[in-house]
Amino acid sequence: MILTKNIKMADVIHMNYHTLSVLNRFGIVLGFGDKTIEETCKEKNVDVNFFLEILNAFIDKDYFPKKHLQTFSVGLITEYLSKTHAFYHQVKVPEIESLINEMVDSCYTQKDTLILLKRFFNDYKQELLNHTQREEEVVYPYTLSIEKAFNQEKIDTSIIELMETYSIDIFKTEHDDIEEKLYDLKNIIIKYLPQPKDVRLCNRLIQELFILEQDLNDHSRIEDKVLVPKIREMEKMIHQRFAKY
Amino acid sequence: MRATSFILYSPSYIIRKGLISIIDKMHDAHITNQADSFEEIPELIETKETDFLLLDTNILKSTNLFKEIKNKYGKNQLIAISNSSNNQNLSDFAEIINLTDSQAEILKKLNQLSGNKNKLDTAPNIPDEISKREADILKEIALGYSNKEIADKLFISVHTVVTHRKNITRKLGIKTAPGLTIYAIINKIIDINDTEAN
Ligand SMILES: [Fe+2]
Ligand SMILES: [Fe+2]
Repeated sequence: MILTKNIKMADVIHMNYHTLSVLNRFGIVLGFGDKTIEETCKEKNVDVNFFLEILNAFIDKDYFPKKHLQTFSVGLITEYLSKTHAFYHQVKVPEIESLINEMVDSCYTQKDTLILLKRFFNDYKQELLNHTQREEEVVYPYTLSIEKAFNQEKIDTSIIELMETYSIDIFKTEHDDIEEKLYDLKNIIIKYLPQPKDVRLCNRLIQELFILEQDLNDHSRIEDKVLVPKIREMEKMIHQRFAKY
Repeated sequence: MRATSFILYSPSYIIRKGLISIIDKMHDAHITNQADSFEEIPELIETKETDFLLLDTNILKSTNLFKEIKNKYGKNQLIAISNSSNNQNLSDFAEIINLTDSQAEILKKLNQLSGNKNKLDTAPNIPDEISKREADILKEIALGYSNKEIADKLFISVHTVVTHRKNITRKLGIKTAPGLTIYAIINKIIDINDTEAN
């Protein structure tokens, strides 16, 4: 089902409780009463059209209105992406970490293997951190500069100089697949780890890994298919306008 | 038998969604990627390996793009999605799905293609378990050696190492070197004390 603004916020959660984490990124928390999506967004000062498209794309992986998403401002898009990074580092990764730690602590027979798993995830955590840091320190600020220059009447030479040192296509090629290691981790646990002592812990871990992987897929898709083409188009226009002077 | 993968191109959302829901009904088949415009296709066929391409026939309008596709894929991998009864100029495709086909007809066509592929796949009788040779390569990967180092050590070409690596990844479902290392330790192909970190 595709959500529209007159649907009640509470019904969104009933329909798919994973959306809660997306809501949180917009500063929307539980206790909606009977308010609709539109009413809640107004109250929280959230762009309802952007909110709806992000939410719909998150729920249905076949629904991806990239052309419409590209019409929203770079500021809005990168703010959402940064909030998502924060969610990974502050919520998801610690959750997975503590599950792995619990598994290591509660197991005596295959501690060595579990410690390997823990080390593997630790490396992954660092990799993810490097990935998102690079985006927040280099890529997103660059896209914001491009948008700012694009909106100004006169093209400043400083932006042309900046575009000579970096471009969105450089990001595109250096943007690596951050989901690969998660995929491996899942398969190792599902297929190869000797039977766990605590099945309940293992099940929860798998579930968390699936959730993180899916969220990352949704996130990277916004970077690759919304942000990149949008900025590429702006870069092109900036060059064209500058050449006219 | 290994899952059958499709890449789907059609500018129409309704057609894409329809085919996705039909392919969902097949056993062990999935769409790995989809495109709704010409611009997206080069990227898809560059990075993703796939068994079949489902292509809207308007792809023929871009002669260059279609030439590129034909360079990369064999005729037996191309399936046309056609909305006319006139299918004369579709000789470059192994199969044609007509928009007027029933679900059963489409499933029959796709299952047939997928079945043929699997017959070819299993012909050399590759076991799901990795072979002795692959285990040798896996051991070296787990010990932290690069493709080049492994090639030198085992007196084979880098290309051969890469091919073995691809097969190992496909059979085990593990893509990264650190992931393969854990597999190797669990299965006692190497000892935990042999790894770099120690
Ligand atoms: Fe990101
Ligand atoms: Fe990213």
